[in-house]
Amino acid sequence: MLKLFQTLNTQALIKATIAAIAVVILVLAGSRNLQNFDAALIAYLLGTVFAVFGIAYRYSVWLQRPPTRLYWRRSWQFLLSKDFPSYAWRSLVLFFKNILFQRFIYPRGKTRWIGHFLLATGCLIAFAVTIPLTFGWVHFTLEQGSFSTYNANFFGFKAGTFELGSPIAFLTFHALVWCSVLVTIGAVMMMKRRLTNGGLIATQTFEGDWLPLILLIAISITGLGISYDYTFLQGRTHQFMSVTHAVTVILFLVWIPFGKFFHIFQRLAQLGANIYKVEGERRGMAVCPHTLEPFASHTHVEDLKNISRDLGFDFRLENGKNHLDFSPEGKRSALAKAHFEARKNSGKFFG
Amino acid sequence: MPNTKYNQQMEFFIDMQRCIGCHACEMACAECETNGQESMIHIHYVDRAVSVQTTVQVCMHCEDPVCANVCPADAITKDDFGVVHTANTSRCIGCSNCVLACPFGVPIKSEPQELMMKCNMCYDRTSAGKKPMCATVCPSQALYYGTREEISKMRPDSVPVNTFQFGEQEVKTKVNIMMPKGSTHLKVH
Amino acid sequence: MATLPISTDKIIEKYGPHKAYTPASGFHGSHEPDRLVKTHCCFCGMQCGIQLKVKDNTIAGFEPWMEFPFNEGRLCPKGVQRYLQNNHPDRLLHPLQRVEGKGFENIGWDKAMDRTISEIRRIQEQYGQDAFGMLSGVSLTNEKSYMIGKFARVALKTANLDYNGRLCMVSAGAGNKKAFGLDRISNSWSDLAGAEVIIIAGTNVSETFPTLTHYIWQARDRGAKLVVIDPRVTPIARTADLHLPVKPGTDSALYGAMLKILVDNDWLDHDFIQHHTSGFDKTIEAVKDYDLAWAEKTTGIPADKILQAATWWGKASTSFLLHARGIEHHTKGVDNVLGCINLVLATGRIGKPYCGYGTITGQGNGQGGREHGHKCDQLPGNRDITNPEHRKYIAGVWGIEESEMPGKGLSAYEMIEAIHRGEVKGLITICFNPLVSLPNNNFVREAFEKLEYYVAIDFFLNETARHADLILPGSLHEEEEGTVTTAEGRVVKINQAITPPGEARKDSDILIELAQRLGAGDKFNYSCSEDIFNELRVASKGGTADYYGITYEKIEKNMGVFWPCPDLDHPGTPRLWEDRKFKTPDGKAHFNPVPYRDPSEVVDTEFPVVLTTGRVVSQYLSGSQTRRIGKLVDQYPEPLLEIHPKLAAKYNIKNRELVKVSTRRGEAFFPAQLVETIREDTVFIPYHWGGKQSANQLTIGTLDPVSKIPEFKVCACRLEPTGQQGTEKMKETAYQSY
Repeated sequence: MLKLFQTLNTQALIKATIAAIAVVILVLAGSRNLQNFDAALIAYLLGTVFAVFGIAYRYSVWLQRPPTRLYWRRSWQFLLSKDFPSYAWRSLVLFFKNILFQRFIYPRGKTRWIGHFLLATGCLIAFAVTIPLTFGWVHFTLEQGSFSTYNANFFGFKAGTFELGSPIAFLTFHALVWCSVLVTIGAVMMMKRRLTNGGLIATQTFEGDWLPLILLIAISITGLGISYDYTFLQGRTHQFMSVTHAVTVILFLVWIPFGKFFHIFQRLAQLGANIYKVEGERRGMAVCPHTLEPFASHTHVEDLKNISRDLGFDFRLENGKNHLDFSPEGKRSALAKAHFEARKNSGKFFG
Repeated sequence: MPNTKYNQQMEFFIDMQRCIGCHACEMACAECETNGQESMIHIHYVDRAVSVQTTVQVCMHCEDPVCANVCPADAITKDDFGVVHTANTSRCIGCSNCVLACPFGVPIKSEPQELMMKCNMCYDRTSAGKKPMCATVCPSQALYYGTREEISKMRPDSVPVNTFQFGEQEVKTKVNIMMPKGSTHLKVH
Repeated sequence: MATLPISTDKIIEKYGPHKAYTPASGFHGSHEPDRLVKTHCCFCGMQCGIQLKVKDNTIAGFEPWMEFPFNEGRLCPKGVQRYLQNNHPDRLLHPLQRVEGKGFENIGWDKAMDRTISEIRRIQEQYGQDAFGMLSGVSLTNEKSYMIGKFARVALKTANLDYNGRLCMVSAGAGNKKAFGLDRISNSWSDLAGAEVIIIAGTNVSETFPTLTHYIWQARDRGAKLVVIDPRVTPIARTADLHLPVKPGTDSALYGAMLKILVDNDWLDHDFIQHHTSGFDKTIEAVKDYDLAWAEKTTGIPADKILQAATWWGKASTSFLLHARGIEHHTKGVDNVLGCINLVLATGRIGKPYCGYGTITGQGNGQGGREHGHKCDQLPGNRDITNPEHRKYIAGVWGIEESEMPGKGLSAYEMIEAIHRGEVKGLITICFNPLVSLPNNNFVREAFEKLEYYVAIDFFLNETARHADLILPGSLHEEEEGTVTTAEGRVVKINQAITPPGEARKDSDILIELAQRLGAGDKFNYSCSEDIFNELRVASKGGTADYYGITYEKIEKNMGVFWPCPDLDHPGTPRLWEDRKFKTPDGKAHFNPVPYRDPSEVVDTEFPVVLTTGRVVSQYLSGSQTRRIGKLVDQYPEPLLEIHPKLAAKYNIKNRELVKVSTRRGEAFFPAQLVETIREDTVFIPYHWGGKQSANQLTIGTLDPVSKIPEFKVCACRLEPTGQQGTEKMKETAYQSY
């Protein structure tokens, strides 16, 4: 514990605290001073606030690493340049393609993409539903003078109306059921891969790869349990179901900043990397002195020289050039040539 | 990593002057289950116009891997055995920092997958006590996987070296390169 | 009617070659195969051990076989990818019949057999027994090779049976029989690893026998000197202690000059020469004028290099000399081989540990396949079909009268010539793709178009089978049990991993049914491969290639047995001639005089450049198998013209420029690859492709007078730049043989 305080990152601590406080303020504002807040969800709220604190803390620590910091800065620099419209549009397209639809997983395997897409979509919709409810931002009221017309209120303002028993009502009130189904199917597909693929079996870990899937399935099953209970068991097991569900969800929330789920937030950096690549190519390519072919953007090569130096690696050569000026093929060839010379100078190739 | 029968006595030794450029390693690399039909090993001519010299390059598994250091996504890790693993697929953002910074030119960016991939010394095989695919099939044994005793007996006039000099920078690796007896390092530039 | 029934494009569309790749997640069952089957690679004469993964009667992948002593898991790229044939979309699954204008259509086995038998009968009745010929191949097992020899003579009753070993190592076989009376490498590869000086002549070991490299490197680790004789700096020549860039077609001049140096410096084993050899004096008489200046002028190799090679060879205490097609594919292939043998005999370094000599047999069963009678002049046990005693013994084993046995027939290329002349009218081929692998293949195509009936047994529709009237789907290497004999003389076991898919059948079952229908069923009463092998053992007994003491059980137990193995208690013979008892009539090893002569075609003003051909590491022979494996095709997609920058400059040829290469036989276009790793007077084209990019449109069909091997390795050509770059389409489609 002492060590934890010693290694505490002040900058991150400040940012995380601000983020957590901001959430609390938004809860107060959105729920009209807790007027619309559902007290039964207090445990979830606390879990979420902790998660926000943790995510912000880790994100901040992460951004302090030289390569990440550079990408962060460059991304904003390029995005907010005179080319803002094209980069903003590009980012939006990529957000849909790669964040919401995770298209880049498809070439890694079709079933793998289907599994991940189901799992991710279930989670994202569930977040979209539960967070506003937990924060008291969304609540439902009966239309005055009616027994069947419901109003959906957002931040205390009426945002929509629907009839009880209508398809919309059915879909809305069961949204989490659909999410649970998606997540469960997705998680089972991903588990199957982890049981059969030799490469995954060799490299996976329990806490890194299996725990997240187990947790997601536990949340989904217990969530479905609540639904099952009030639909078919008239609430007889409500207490048990709601407690187990709360426990799994809160475990999940608390685990986000530490485990595999943090990649949901890291993934956004992929958009930055894309802009960085496109802008870099526009600014000009670096040509490998060995292959005489362009291989990466000049900006990228120069940035990497600086980053690696910051990290304690100095690839400067005696002739004023830099090993990083070579393309990967050029680097490999340079090593092979050096090895050839060493062998040749020794008088024999073998022995 | 789980269940492992990884034998720490076994080491990887490369001697690219023995390489005959046949690409058996490349074909066999695709059989390694950790990278499913994608080859991670590099084999190519150095300069075909003047020579048939080829080079063959696996991941050298650096003691302080530059790739992991420059990764903005913390996607590359080194395990307790010193094996530097390929990018964690959930983290890698496909930025290519590792591809460009690796002094040995090892990582590969798979563009459609937006993912870096690299040799992880056939972890599915080495962690089960087998030899990596490339070193198993290599017909010239330019790639050799075995103990130090074995290699010193077989190749009495060579010595394994794991220190490389790239200009100002010295890099130490887990994988060895076979050099003339008496060598302590390979100066690349 | 052996013309194409429909356009080449349409045949390719349906029957390939198509490139096959392993699916991203592996073949069905590759993660949990039903079993691993220990067998061998189907390609070259090394016959590396390999384990095939089998799932639900399909090949799902491979696993290295670490225990097999020759290769201990090592493989070349072809070996790694060899498992892609069984699942291949081009695999022939039904008997096919040529239909004019429509291509090929399925025909049941019964009809296919009926038609073939009636055509054989018709042609033989009309034109004589020998008008129906058979061409076979030595990728087949010993059992099949033996049975084909018997099938042709006993069931088909034709003299005209020959095989594609005729393009392989017949020069070596003929030379070895002349010198030693026996045709096998003298030592196992383990002796190679201990030799002090190794000469490899005309063998691109690193690309054609990659797994043999390990043994040469081992020898170098122990201090051996490596001398490579080759017009090109091949990968194995790159780091060699000495590279002699011989001008194609002048090899025997080099060996003659080296022999003279040995004599002049008295680097001779007089005791060995006196007691165990004959013909020494007339042999050295033949080289008395071959001094260094003459040799340098003739071979194009600097004199000091020749002297250095001869000095190392002369002073060595142990040595190994290996050669392959580079010196054998000549009209003086036998001379070249004898020239090498003379160097070995002069120093007496044979029949001792680490002292050896031999040819590196090319094809999978190039060794065993050339011993048991599917050559036109041969009977099992490497017996002679013209020798009355040999005929009598084998007739006895086969249960026929000696008088019924046909005599010596035509060799492979002579048979093509006879077809072209209209003397041979019907043909059955198995495991042979002459349209790609024979020289001057425009002539070969004309011949095939003249056949009245052509039936091909194969598992893919190769370029030649496109011309067939009928195609019978046979078996892959992994679909039938048997044995092969590796290039070091080790008899190993091929295990059946799966049964043939669809309606395809085992090759031996097809031959047995044909024999039955030809009325010789009682002579082909085999229930399994082992029955055939047991008959082969008896047939080979007492011959030079004696397999009598080898059994399946013994092979499995010892991971191979080296022949000769004359009785059941015999351990086999990894090293020959330790007893100095050679198999020649006088029991001595024979020196043979080799006076130098020029190749059949020399350069002149019209065709001023030397053309030589050869192989690349990713392809195997005519490519019928390897041009269907995606990664192997991609590694080297199209044949390139290797040319020295100085020669290129002379004709104003740029790198990657399309060059028209013409010879007296044809012309073709190849992109130029400018490399300093070839002689300045020679160009090289690899020969694995058919159709418009086939190098064998250019090569010459002249034959060695003794071995009847064609002169693939040297002819004269003309080069003309086209001013255009090679197109992407050519590169992308070369493997299909348009």
